[in-house]
Amino acid sequence: MKLPMIPTSVVGSYSMPGWLERLKTEYFARRISRHDLEEIHDNAVKAAIKDQEVAGVDVITDGEMRRDNMMDYFLERLPGVQIDRSSKKFYYDFYNCSVQGKLPMAPLGVADDFRFLRKFTEHEAKFCVTGPHALTKRIHNEFYPSEEALAMDLARALNLELKELVKAGARLIQIDEPYYSGFPDDLTWGVKVLNALVEGVDAKIAVHICYGNRYGKPSWEGSYRYLFPRILEAKVDQLTLEFARRGGEDLDLFREFKPAFELGVGVIDVKTQAVETPDMVAERIRKALEFVPAERVTAMPDCGCFHLPRDVAFAKLCAMVEGARIVRKELGH
Amino acid sequence: MILQWNHLPRKTSAASVQDIVASLQTMLEEGCLEQDQFASLCVHLDWIQYKQNFREAVTVVPYAGEHTAASPLYEVHVDLRQAGPGALRVAMQHAMGAAHAGFGHHPAPNAEGVALEDFQPFRSSIAWRFNWLYWQRLADWEQSTGRGYEEALPGGKSDANHPQAVADGVADFWTLARDLEVKNQLPAELFVLEIGVGMGTRAGLWLDRFHKLDRERGTNYYSRVRFLLGDYSPATLERSKAAVRAHMDRCSFVVLDALNPMQTLSFLRHKVLHIHLTNVYDNLPDEEMARRDGRLHLVEVRAYLPTADAERIANEFELAARELPRAIERLLEVGPEHFPDRSRGVAFWQQVWAAMRLEERMVCADDVSPEALPGDLDLARLEELLGEAPSDLRFHVNSGALESFRNTLPLLSTRGYLQVQDIFVTHWNEYQLGFHGPGKLDGSIVNWVNGALLRETAERAGYDVHFAPFRYREGSRTSMLYTTQRE
Repeated sequence: MKLPMIPTSVVGSYSMPGWLERLKTEYFARRISRHDLEEIHDNAVKAAIKDQEVAGVDVITDGEMRRDNMMDYFLERLPGVQIDRSSKKFYYDFYNCSVQGKLPMAPLGVADDFRFLRKFTEHEAKFCVTGPHALTKRIHNEFYPSEEALAMDLARALNLELKELVKAGARLIQIDEPYYSGFPDDLTWGVKVLNALVEGVDAKIAVHICYGNRYGKPSWEGSYRYLFPRILEAKVDQLTLEFARRGGEDLDLFREFKPAFELGVGVIDVKTQAVETPDMVAERIRKALEFVPAERVTAMPDCGCFHLPRDVAFAKLCAMVEGARIVRKELGH
Repeated sequence: MILQWNHLPRKTSAASVQDIVASLQTMLEEGCLEQDQFASLCVHLDWIQYKQNFREAVTVVPYAGEHTAASPLYEVHVDLRQAGPGALRVAMQHAMGAAHAGFGHHPAPNAEGVALEDFQPFRSSIAWRFNWLYWQRLADWEQSTGRGYEEALPGGKSDANHPQAVADGVADFWTLARDLEVKNQLPAELFVLEIGVGMGTRAGLWLDRFHKLDRERGTNYYSRVRFLLGDYSPATLERSKAAVRAHMDRCSFVVLDALNPMQTLSFLRHKVLHIHLTNVYDNLPDEEMARRDGRLHLVEVRAYLPTADAERIANEFELAARELPRAIERLLEVGPEHFPDRSRGVAFWQQVWAAMRLEERMVCADDVSPEALPGDLDLARLEELLGEAPSDLRFHVNSGALESFRNTLPLLSTRGYLQVQDIFVTHWNEYQLGFHGPGKLDGSIVNWVNGALLRETAERAGYDVHFAPFRYREGSRTSMLYTTQRE
């Protein structure tokens, strides 16, 4: 599928329905079976796909309906990671987990979820993978000499999964590394680990870096300045950054450092239920175009729409699509 | 028959208990109660509530709707403070007799007076309009009683203004600012918000102390402070200015609705470092529910004036008793100046308020519309929240406090924290030790706050909630709720 100039996409998650939250919790309480839960997930994914398609989003995801949160979906599939199954009260809580020995190298098995997505859409599809830096922050490390060493082995294991995703047809993979913003000093080794993660992966790679979206609120504040110049060493194709909530001040870094990356520019604030107008979105895109050529810009929400009610998330995606259309028209496309 | 007796220290209730049991036994023997009614009766003794409240010594609460053999017809609540053993027997027999005779009729059995409204959830009751009038016309009330409202508090002053408590709070805030500075994250402006400012005393103490600490340590944070005093009463805000006179360039005075601070302060979303409330949640509209035999019931109330009080007030103010509801409505619409003599209007207001009682009935929650439940709470969610609660309990649903809480948290910055000093029921189990009923504090309503429900709500919003007893004044019933970020 040929993408238009300034395509629209999502960062990953779509609105998590209240009924699905309850059913996930029912599963943890052993009141419904794994088989039933998977069937429920399948249907929720189909609904999320349909909403994105109807909204007119160009590059879509499975809405991450199968994920309890951005960590556990991967951690409980990573061989060698010990999970304390009793540590969750609510499905959205993080598991307590630890690593007590060297991680075995094996894929995680999430590529099937991408295949499911592919089966139900003809739109360009993206799969999001939580990066090794973020995962490291949720693991109690009882074996590796440093966080970097643990992250590097996580990267190697995840690299196998990325290659499985490519085999399954993935052409665009997004790595989520929001914890960079909370631990900016880690970038000294974070980029090295990121490069190990994507080594030999024959797909377009995006890296999403925001200021956190846990419970629909930011985890940190600051400026993206900490990313530069070290992020320029990352062997990735696209940076997706949050600008709608924080304002476009940091766009100036793209003028200052002239990175070759494409920019996924956040034009939808996912931390408020107030729905943007298409004009507001268009204005945010125009602002980004002052710093990055249109050929390298994708319009996106600041982060996942997980915490937004479905009607709000849908309306925001529609506004995003319409805003991009306005700018395209202005550019003669 | 189930008898729930809440033992409270220093209360001589044992004799009353015997008296009540004997009264019920007599009623059974005299045929006033059927054997099956007696068997399904639920009697709750000694409630934890303010001395001035909305109850008679004995209150009979019927269950509305259809009844099965297994379901109770009514339950009986006895406030052992209000009557000695001798008088209790009479009150008990009277209330039970009236209930027994009146069951199935409308108005319900306790309505031996002038009803001021129809049955509805407490949050919609006319009682809250009186509460609103009190805060809007505080000066009139105070002039009439000759004392400030803080003097009406237990202990005669607000715990919010305890100098050491304020100093410790300031130290916590300074430590946070210092930590942010070390991490190079200190914002250019340090927003502090107090909701419900009283006389402004706490704000003044806080700013005095912070200024002093800042000077002592040479940190220059004071110049960054933006202290917002928020209250829904412009008169209260005006009065608070005197207490912060020395810090006027640091202060802003904002008229805001405690139920929705975001509505006024949305420009400060994710920017406020510290928010404090004292005795605000206990004065926001709320309702009550009960779980009996696994079924949820909404407690509906109807305000009324007991017949004797209604007649007395009507006589004194030269009205017919049937004209009272209209006169009260005018009072709530216009204020005490509805009377040609304003002071007489205030006297009318105070006498009606003092006499006002709330009649109650239980309505099965399955029969109430979803709108009867506050905010995004529905029955399924409530059942989920009650998962760890005792099977049989009556509890607050503090819809006002929940709404305020939900609409305040988004103001907090990533390192920000909320502190609420109030009278909390901090755990579901506490409801088994006694129901903490609504009371009257001067012309306002005061009610306990369901901390357990706030804790659950906060968890879904990304905060852990902790409670600490207020340790600065012996005998204080208040606790401090404070939030920490949840992973």
